[in-house]
Amino acid sequence: MAEITLVEAINQALDYEMGKDENVVVLGEDIAKNGGVFRATVGLLEKYGKDRVRDTPLAESMIAGLAIGMATQGLRPVAEFQFMGFIYPALDQIINHASRLRNRTRGRITCPLVFRTPYGAGIHAPEHHSESTEAIFAHTPGLRVVIPSSPKRAYGLMLAAIRNNDPVVFLEPSRLYRFAKQEVPNDGKALPLDKCFTLKVGTDITLVSFGAMLKETLSAAKKLEAEGISCEVIDVATIKPLDMETILASVEKTGRLVIIHEAAKTCGIGAEISAEIAERGLMFLQAPVQRITGYDTIVPYSKLEKIYIPSEQKIIDTVLNTMEFA
Amino acid sequence: MKIFNLPDLGEGLAEAEIREWFVKVGDTVKEDQPLLSMETAKAVVDVPSPYSGEIKKLYGQNGDTIQTHAPLIEFVSQDAPLKKDKGTVVGNLEESETILDEGDVIVGVPQKTSTTIKAMPAVRMLAKQLDVDLTLVQGSGAGGQITAKDVKEYVQGSSSTSTGEALKGVRHAMAKAMADSHKEVVPITLSDDADITNFPADADFTAHLIQAIAKAAEIEPAINVSFNGKKLERQFNSNTNLGLAVDTKEGLLVPVIKDIANKSKEELRTEINHLKNGAKDRSLKPEELQGATFTLSNFGVFAGKYATLVVVPPQVAILGCGKIREVAKVHEGSVKVRKIAPLSLSCDHRAVTGGEATRFLAAVIQHLES
Repeated sequence: MAEITLVEAINQALDYEMGKDENVVVLGEDIAKNGGVFRATVGLLEKYGKDRVRDTPLAESMIAGLAIGMATQGLRPVAEFQFMGFIYPALDQIINHASRLRNRTRGRITCPLVFRTPYGAGIHAPEHHSESTEAIFAHTPGLRVVIPSSPKRAYGLMLAAIRNNDPVVFLEPSRLYRFAKQEVPNDGKALPLDKCFTLKVGTDITLVSFGAMLKETLSAAKKLEAEGISCEVIDVATIKPLDMETILASVEKTGRLVIIHEAAKTCGIGAEISAEIAERGLMFLQAPVQRITGYDTIVPYSKLEKIYIPSEQKIIDTVLNTMEFA
Repeated sequence: MKIFNLPDLGEGLAEAEIREWFVKVGDTVKEDQPLLSMETAKAVVDVPSPYSGEIKKLYGQNGDTIQTHAPLIEFVSQDAPLKKDKGTVVGNLEESETILDEGDVIVGVPQKTSTTIKAMPAVRMLAKQLDVDLTLVQGSGAGGQITAKDVKEYVQGSSSTSTGEALKGVRHAMAKAMADSHKEVVPITLSDDADITNFPADADFTAHLIQAIAKAAEIEPAINVSFNGKKLERQFNSNTNLGLAVDTKEGLLVPVIKDIANKSKEELRTEINHLKNGAKDRSLKPEELQGATFTLSNFGVFAGKYATLVVVPPQVAILGCGKIREVAKVHEGSVKVRKIAPLSLSCDHRAVTGGEATRFLAAVIQHLES
């Protein structure tokens, strides 16, 4: 079995599910003939035809609206937005309609669709191409927000997202698209959409992250291990609904928590996790909860990008400081 | 042979016109170096070289229109592979052939553990202040949480189930004074022997020792001071008032003999007897228990040789005398049976130097041996 990248795993999942369920359709700008800006949908047009693989006009609100219409009529659309920075024209459709159709119709009409978009900084692109505004969607009732951090999880979570009856915002860390390869069996097995993944078991401190930041988090954990600090690393993966049980159980064990994400600090997912720990896990804490995040600013152009994205060193320093609390 | 076909320069553009070549046949170009400027229906764009190499042929001249995906340039074949199609018209994706080894990924909770201590941060702080190991404390709060009350009760030895005897009166005061001293004083102890072979067996050794202390305090007055640990001040005492440690059933009592320098052996003996009796029948007046500037502990009445003694502030020193005994000792060049008094001097090193302590002890010994 060949090892594949994260973007190839997305493609593999789309291919698998389109082959299995004829109601699955994909749409978006340049996704058919061109195969998508990152080639996530490459080959699908040839295999499933133009009825199920559709290029759309450059109109994000329309893409979302079209997908919602399809979803309410029995299809399972997967719509791509080229970059997260282009999703905002579609917010009205996503927040006012997709997220609340089930509630509005008292459960009669669900909205089984996936909004895919590459997100996050680190690919030397201008603004709009480096966004990580996942908290907007996590804050919206009725949406599920999923962020894979490895080819395997990209595959399993994408399958789960397509099969789920709720609208899912599926954020793909573009920095990880081709960063590494992994063996991903094309077995059609979905992963749970409401669970964290414990990537590394540890006893001294819990590091919680998601998306591309797991790269720095895992390498920091490895270096800290060499210094005798045992880190438990948790990939949140689904930031809404948030699997606090796993995080709480880990903090109960370690008594220390550092949350790492690329998005701006204010009202980020880190704030939510930190608040949950304050409400439900305070009695386990041996040190204050720390957040390592991007800054409350627009992601800078590529030269400053490295300064914006939390570094491995920053994670190491914060963990060492947190361990100072006896 | 390696041919570079014209890529799609926009979003689905069919063709583009050559405006200007920046390179010519025979040039060696580097990857990403601009090759030519082309005009499309949308804009004028520079086309970068997909790889490094030598140019063999150009397909077209300025003004020619080239169809998308038609040949543009031929390179002299090199080993360098064609730049892989990574999609994206914006930015650059980090790419590697690294195989991701995640080991065992666990969905959700790795394992259930409940040996953890459940306590609020304020309770943890309290436990730290009281030096309580929370693993030893049983939590009585919700869900087994350790409360501040649990910690306090643990410190008190959980009074409700205790069968111990609460300290009272003299013993309580002793416990407190000793603990306070331990918290504050920086103690040092030195020990030596006084050879008292020549001292008459029937004479009053205690009175003799007290006079030796009085004499030594004159020689080394730094041992007879009152020390204020908060202000770090010492006050020299004009009189030497000697606290005499007396063991009683109720606990340790330290009555005081005032101004020992101006008292004869007989006067001292009378006062010692009076204070000892007073301590036993608890008839001492408060003033007889106050004002000591130095303490003597004659612990050797029963047993013991040397000891580390507890200095009680504001005093800075205490002398202990162990059990007087005969020992085999080198005396004037040969081993003889000699009678010695083992002495221990404990000082508060915050106020007394090692030199002052040794000079004082030497003076005591000299007086005892003379």
